[in-house]
Amino acid sequence: MAEAKTFKGGIHPPYNKELASGKAIKRAPVPAEVIIPLQQHIGAPNEALVSAGDRVEVGQKIGSSDAFVSAPVHSSVAGVVKEVVDVPNFTGNKVKSVVITTDAEQPEFAKKPGKDIDSLSADEIREIAKEAGLVGMGGAAFPTHVKLTPPKDKPVDLVIINACECEPFLTCDHRQMLEKGDDLIAGARLLKTAVGAGKVIIGIEANKMDAVDAIRSKASGLSDVEVEVLEVKYPEGAEKMLIFALTGRKVPPGKLPSEVGCLVQNVGTAIALYEAAAWGKPLYERVLTVTGPGIREPGNLLAAIGTPISDLIEACGGFVGNPVKLIMGGPMTGWAQSGTTANVVKGTSGVVVLTSDVVEMGEETDCVRCSKCIEACPMFLSPNFIVQAAKRGQWDKAEMWGALDCFECGCCSFECPAFIPHVEYVRKAKAEIAALKKKKE
Amino acid sequence: MATDNLVQTPPPHLRSKEQTAVAMRDVLIALAPVTIAALVAFTYNALFVIAVCVGSCMFFEWAVRKLRKKKVTLRDGSAAVTGLLLALLMPAQIHWLNMIIASFIAIVVIKELMGGLGRNIFNPALFGYVFIITCSGILASWTGHLGFLSAGFDGVTGATPLAFIGPGLESMGPSYGSLLFANYGGAISEVGAFWVLLGGAYLIYRKVIGWVIPTTILATVFVLSYIVGSDGLYQILAGGVMLGAFFMATDWVSSPMFTWGQVIFGLIIGVCIVLIRVFGAPTGAVAYSIIIGNCFVPLLDKVFKPKRFGEVVAA
Ligand code: SF4
Ligand code: SF4
Repeated sequence: MAEAKTFKGGIHPPYNKELASGKAIKRAPVPAEVIIPLQQHIGAPNEALVSAGDRVEVGQKIGSSDAFVSAPVHSSVAGVVKEVVDVPNFTGNKVKSVVITTDAEQPEFAKKPGKDIDSLSADEIREIAKEAGLVGMGGAAFPTHVKLTPPKDKPVDLVIINACECEPFLTCDHRQMLEKGDDLIAGARLLKTAVGAGKVIIGIEANKMDAVDAIRSKASGLSDVEVEVLEVKYPEGAEKMLIFALTGRKVPPGKLPSEVGCLVQNVGTAIALYEAAAWGKPLYERVLTVTGPGIREPGNLLAAIGTPISDLIEACGGFVGNPVKLIMGGPMTGWAQSGTTANVVKGTSGVVVLTSDVVEMGEETDCVRCSKCIEACPMFLSPNFIVQAAKRGQWDKAEMWGALDCFECGCCSFECPAFIPHVEYVRKAKAEIAALKKKKE
Repeated sequence: MATDNLVQTPPPHLRSKEQTAVAMRDVLIALAPVTIAALVAFTYNALFVIAVCVGSCMFFEWAVRKLRKKKVTLRDGSAAVTGLLLALLMPAQIHWLNMIIASFIAIVVIKELMGGLGRNIFNPALFGYVFIITCSGILASWTGHLGFLSAGFDGVTGATPLAFIGPGLESMGPSYGSLLFANYGGAISEVGAFWVLLGGAYLIYRKVIGWVIPTTILATVFVLSYIVGSDGLYQILAGGVMLGAFFMATDWVSSPMFTWGQVIFGLIIGVCIVLIRVFGAPTGAVAYSIIIGNCFVPLLDKVFKPKRFGEVVAA
């Protein structure tokens, strides 16, 4: 077999995938109440289409916007709207949300027979993606139909399915590949049609060889779908790293994958696109992993958008040990929570609970100039100098050292012996640099 | 639910276990072979030197942090490492006062007053050592019996291996084999280049240091020596080149951060070592060379900023 492909830099965190990788996807119980934020994506916020007292059905559109960079949201349950209010989301920001009291009896989603998916045109697929409220489900939550509309002068020849799942602990993409392989392949081919590409590559890290075999055998008769094995390294699934590992093409700083003729989509998004095209099913539920040493029975759940994470944790046997970190998303880039009130959104790939015995607690000290962050940075930035500049308020220098090119993977902080939270400084620097640029205009 | 202990810190939520204290412990482990060899060779003389240097470095660290009302950082192990490195640079028969002065310079002046670990542009141990060889006439006591604790050891009564450096002279010095494993001369660490090499390999294996700096220094010394008509192999085995290349020049704080800067840094040090040794005085040549190299670090960090991923060189 050919050697696993990869990029330069990066780290090898403890993966702990075995906690949940063997657990088949289960449907999470429908909660008594769901809280669905009207904005779950990058872009313009939605207006509510419902108000208190309205009845809603599963899959009914409850929020939309006229803006192009936006994605509608749909009800994940059958029930009655209790109120439309501002609720803090998982990042702590207040977002207008629809609170729905769910019916005791939940009907199955009625599949609408769609068109023959092989005959759909590019425009039709984009429209389906938009109507279904599809966003990147790996965490960034960028509206899918926007990504499917690359600039005219930048033809896309290759669709890459990011099936690395390089974040430690998470296994939902792995399970979906094992359980919904055909849907994934069909969704990937829809993506291909939408951008007019010639080929699909599904890139899977070498720690999921069962998924590699499963997808390979399902795709064996297809000349336009390839499966490639990637080295197990974080962040293998970062767009730029993945494109480089698979094709050798380098996306220039500040540019998008279309610059080098690629479209990258995540496993969950491709499957959701298939479901939207074949059954008319909007994105109102998703598979996510509830795991970590602080969870009694880790597993992969199919959960309604808006489900409070306390319900998911309960469905997985509750806490065990001394939980000190409750993370929405993966442990490298996710958001630490102070409680269990956050709700599942389209971009929630997991709920990870870490206990005191696995979390390294340290005190930030001065940089000791060990260069480890520089070696780890997959973007070849100088995280230490960005931090130094940020500490001194020299935002132009922070930019010079690459603050704007940082995609906040956290490799630098993982390696740093001085326990410096680089990402926090980078975020600060990005905000300051943006503010300065605005002032100049 | 048991959420009382939840902490909200920025990502990433996983961290490597390799914090500063672990790296310093690794350095101590890496120095074990040469330290043991030194103890075997110089017995209680070496023990005395190590005890005084480590003890006074740790004391000064504690005292200066206390005096300046800062958190005492002895637990990161860097003061102990500085003390041990300093000890290893000392000849066995050095006067205790010299060691205390060197420790003071290293910890108080270089490390603390420059802003604490991370801000010193020189390696503290090295600078402490250079200070005493330049300033307190230690050279007079190098092979003599002026110092404290002069008795009990007669290994080095004649010239040290460094005395044979120079075109054509090396063949009269000790053999390569004895330089590698057991030739005593000069500092207490000069008891065999192999023991130092062993520790250096461990540090590279543990990823505490990179291979670029030591390799460039050794290669430069080796090649340039032959060019100026000296014996390259003798040069890298004799004296403090090994210790300097693996343990001093690689000091995180006082070495360049980017690969190409590290290469130039190694080149500068290597060239200086050969020139000072062959055309100047061999004693302390390595130390002076590294100090010279240290001076270039801020510049090298500016010039060799790596290209960002996907960045194209402007044509
Ligand atoms: S600087 Fe940014 S891109 Fe580089 S390792 Fe750190 S978080 Fe990742
Ligand atoms: S890893 Fe931390 S201590 Fe090392 S150079 Fe980077 S910021 Fe400094």
